[in-house]
Amino acid sequence: MKRYAYYLSCINESMTKEVDRSIDLWQKDLGIELVKMHESTCCGGSNLDYVSPKHFALVNARNIAIAEKMGLDLVVSCNTCLMTIRSAKKKLDETPELKQEVNDILKKEGLEYRGTSDVRHLLWVLIDDVGIDAIKEKVKVPLTNYRIAPFYGCHILRPSKVLGHDNPVEPSSLDQLIEALGGKTIPYEHKNRCCGFHTLLVAEEESLNVAAEALEEAIREKADFIVTPCPLCHTVLDGYQAKALKQAGDEKNSIPVFHLSEMVGLALGYTAKQLGIKRHIVT
Amino acid sequence: MTVTEPHIEEAKKDITFRVFRFNPQIDSKPYYDDYTIQVERGITVLRSLNYIKEHLDATVSFRAFCQAGICGSCAMRVNGLSKLACTTQVWEVLEKCREPNVIKVEPLRNLPLVKDLIVDMDPLVDKMKHYSNWVESTMPEEKMGKKEFLISEEEFLKYDKATDCILCASCVSECSILRANSEYVSPAVLLKSYRMNSDSRDAIHDVRLAELVKDHGVWDCTHCYRCQETCVKSIPIMDAIHGIREDAIERRGMKDTSGSKHAEAFMSDIEKKGKLVEATLPIRTNGMAWTLKNLLPMAMKMIVKRRTPPPPPLVKPTKGIRVFRSMFREMSEHVREDHKSHNK
Repeated sequence: MKRYAYYLSCINESMTKEVDRSIDLWQKDLGIELVKMHESTCCGGSNLDYVSPKHFALVNARNIAIAEKMGLDLVVSCNTCLMTIRSAKKKLDETPELKQEVNDILKKEGLEYRGTSDVRHLLWVLIDDVGIDAIKEKVKVPLTNYRIAPFYGCHILRPSKVLGHDNPVEPSSLDQLIEALGGKTIPYEHKNRCCGFHTLLVAEEESLNVAAEALEEAIREKADFIVTPCPLCHTVLDGYQAKALKQAGDEKNSIPVFHLSEMVGLALGYTAKQLGIKRHIVT
Repeated sequence: MTVTEPHIEEAKKDITFRVFRFNPQIDSKPYYDDYTIQVERGITVLRSLNYIKEHLDATVSFRAFCQAGICGSCAMRVNGLSKLACTTQVWEVLEKCREPNVIKVEPLRNLPLVKDLIVDMDPLVDKMKHYSNWVESTMPEEKMGKKEFLISEEEFLKYDKATDCILCASCVSECSILRANSEYVSPAVLLKSYRMNSDSRDAIHDVRLAELVKDHGVWDCTHCYRCQETCVKSIPIMDAIHGIREDAIERRGMKDTSGSKHAEAFMSDIEKKGKLVEATLPIRTNGMAWTLKNLLPMAMKMIVKRRTPPPPPLVKPTKGIRVFRSMFREMSEHVREDHKSHNK
């Protein structure tokens, strides 16, 4: 059983509880154990970095230091948390004076940021550590006959200097996972595009236009569902779907959007009810 | 010109360039023309287009000048991605072809089309003018040419990378928000504004900043990082956008716009609870009236599905919040000290 320090994302603790619930169902089936980091704090959600770069460094040095104390890699299942924490790590590793300043403060809690734990997305763990072959072996209900649109989202791909796992132009990890679970990925231009989440409250009309394009392509290509490794993308593509499509002049179509963790759960034999899929706005 | 590497299996290939064609004066809709030519390894997309224009079809229109990645004229989309045709080698993009050995060449997005691969740059120029993206000098007219304007190395390093921009508009073409609304300021303009607002010779910092925080300005960027990823000069454009935001918060306060209020919520929630209080985020960003008008129907749906975020009293602070808070506040002291010494 390979162990990881599992970072609790704010949104998965509030609006998208089904993400962690579904991971809890199947993690042991795939031979991994995600140890929850109850002491971790919000990463700053791609905002704290410019509000106060030093607080941003402190908060995320602390998050990573908790994982380091556990002797484990830090694993997240939200793209923006991934990008944000990895950005902080890069900054800390490249700026010794900042690392020192932060560590002087972290002493209070008996913590130290050393830079020894990697920060990874759950999708990367599934592909690189569990492995495609092992996943295939565990599939009980293959997703045969499902046409699936893989929506990667931005912050698992870009900036590639911070993320560096997939090719940001032609990403493949989510496609590989879909195929391993027996599903069929559709050619999907919007796979590496944006969902518009980060301006939903500031420029709603623009955000919904961005989301509508991604939804319309999946509908046009007759996908059975969209799958995303990011709960923020899910919130827009599922929660705001009707509003986005209406703004684009489409009031009759809809398309289900699944979390990565739910798609894995379905293929491993768990029911939609167990996985919390009924909690989605579009069902 | 030809780079021959004998150990690489093929030094020549037949490549089809599928070129976007549209002449608004004649055509009712765009179409693609295929041109198949033999290309040697080491040849760029621009050299190939020049060959096509000279030998196969003189009517294909594109803009190009320096052929060395300096002038920024030949930006276009090659296999879907905005880049300079003159610095893009054919071999480099072959593996990204949907159909083997067929390279799709299209005009930049988010700018009006003139003909084939040529777009109208005027909207970008107009925005540069709108934000006064030049140094409006602090030096009185009569002193000009008589006195040196010294710039410290420390200051220059702040905008060194931003000055590498060649205005090719690749970032403009890739921008998610500009695609959603053509009025959006656009990444290249924000980059230039950041560069001007960091320049100590400039006299209109506050005026420019006041314009940048308005609707369709700096707060509308959705952090997709497509601009930065595509930049042909590898300029960290998002650092510039975040730099303007940081400056706006410092100079204009956190209650200035919905964008700054939204950002402030992250800072204060983390300090108080260690996590985000999502239930009140829309209200704190846009006020109660906006929230009721825009989000009530969805809130109802979410209540039915039991996916509403918990109200503030039910958001339990993260474990060990007391020590965390004292460390957070200690860092606030550091930041205050930094500001004091910076302002001296």
